[in-house]
Parts: sequence; C-alpha cells; structure tokens
Amino acid sequence: MRASINRPPTPDAEEDPPQKELSLREIINIKLIESGEKEKLMELLRERLIECGWRDEMKALCRAYARKKGRKNVTVDDLVQVITPEGRASVPDSVKAELLQRIRSFLVSASL
Amino acid sequence: MSSPRSQQASDCFDDLLDCIIADVASECHRIARLGLDRNLEEEEEELRRSVQARVADQSSGGEANGKNVVDIFGQTHPAIASEIFECMNCGRPIVAGRFAPHLEKCMGKGRKARAKATRSSTIARNRHSRGSPVSVYAPYSSATSTHRVPNGTVGGVGEEYADHAFEEP
Repeated sequence: MRASINRPPTPDAEEDPPQKELSLREIINIKLIESGEKEKLMELLRERLIECGWRDEMKALCRAYARKKGRKNVTVDDLVQVITPEGRASVPDSVKAELLQRIRSFLVSASL
Repeated sequence: MSSPRSQQASDCFDDLLDCIIADVASECHRIARLGLDRNLEEEEEELRRSVQARVADQSSGGEANGKNVVDIFGQTHPAIASEIFECMNCGRPIVAGRFAPHLEKCMGKGRKARAKATRSSTIARNRHSRGSPVSVYAPYSSATSTHRVPNGTVGGVGEEYADHAFEEP
C-alpha cells in the first residue's frame, strides 16, 4: 500500500523497495496494458463505482470543497487530496473483492 | 492464497483506483473552474438571487425602467424623486429629481448666474486666491461664455475661474 496519499509522479520516487520488486511491478503493468486487461479492469471498476454511488459521493465532496474554498482557487491536486482518503475507504467490499478476484486470475493466467 | 500475489493484486487495484480518483478530481476541477455547477459559489448564488428578486419586482411592479427596486422593508420608490425642497443657492423650491440640472444652471453655466457672482464675490475672493492673476486650473470649464480663456491674462476672467473652482465658503 502506498505510504503517501499524493498521487506520485512515475516512476515512484517516494518508496525505496528492492530493485527486483519495482521491475516486477512494472512487468505486471506492462502485461496488463498489452493484453488490454487494464482497460477492461478500469471500465469494470468505473462502472461498479458509478452504480454504487461512490462517484457521486466523491463529486459531492469536491463540490463542497470548491464551495468553501472559492471555485477559482481550487486545484486538481487539492481535489485529489480531498477525496483520496475517503475514496479509498468507501469502496464497497463487494466491488473491491470482484476486482481483486479478476486481477488475481489475470496474474495466474499470465504466470506472474 | 500466496501473499505476494495478493499484495500485487492489491497494488494493482490501488493503482486503478488512483486513476479513477484522478479522473473524478479532474472533472470536478473543470466543473468548478468553468462555473458549470450552478450553485457552486455562495457569493454568486446570492448575487443571482438579488438579480432575480429585482427582475421579479420589475415584472410585477409594472414600471418599465430598471430603477424600481424593493428595499429591505419591501417598499418601492418611484424612478424620479418627487420630493420638493429649497435650493440652498438660490432659494427656489425645486423638485428633487430635477435638482442636478437646476444646480448646473444655478451655480455655473448660466450667464446671469455667473455675472452675478462676478460682481458680488470677486473682490472678496481675490484675497484668498493664490495671488497670481493667471488661473490655470479650471475643473468645471464652461463652454457657454466666449470670454473664457483658461490661461487668461486678464485678471478678472482668471479670478472668476478661481471662484468657481475653489468654492470657498
């Protein structure tokens, strides 16, 4: 799990894992993208999060923040920081389980 | 369930979630900055409400011009002030809505008014003015009289300007 809630620039400079883990992560990512599975997973996750109202909740948080701060003073980074903690915590367990299951299946099928 | 694989799967999931969070943030940022959300800024909303109130009053009040607003007690005022009072310069009873044009004539533009001022108050005001007969500063320049020369070397003309520019009591 990431230590920082800020979306880090790639490559991730915050962590200091052993060199081997980084490249495995990269390999997984490359395989995900090449096979088209990443796209499908994204679509699936997006759909599930819209269905369960997660997206609307996040948008409401953003709107409240923008209202408080003044809509012209808002930055994308602000909003990311505002919704990341709540966003990560409020994903329904069923949605998370479904996605994890699919990812694991992919990893198995890709012999990773 | 092998732990590293679960960990990798979890990392992947977090990565996907971060992307979606970034998308939502980006979209909300756009909506906020472009003002697409109608009720986003409280100030703007109040402004809108006051404009709406004004529009509503106009349509129900029946007056054509835009000056017919409702004040905080719910009273409306006619567009042209109709109260009559006394002009402090000439003493005549004046309709308040016509006071400005009256004052123009009464105090500055009219030849009769200017001639009157020249004779009665010039001598007294000469002492208060800068002392130089040439008066360059004339904020309320009048176009009516042909005698007016801004840098007039004629003492009387210059002095008159000083009278009206520096309204001394």
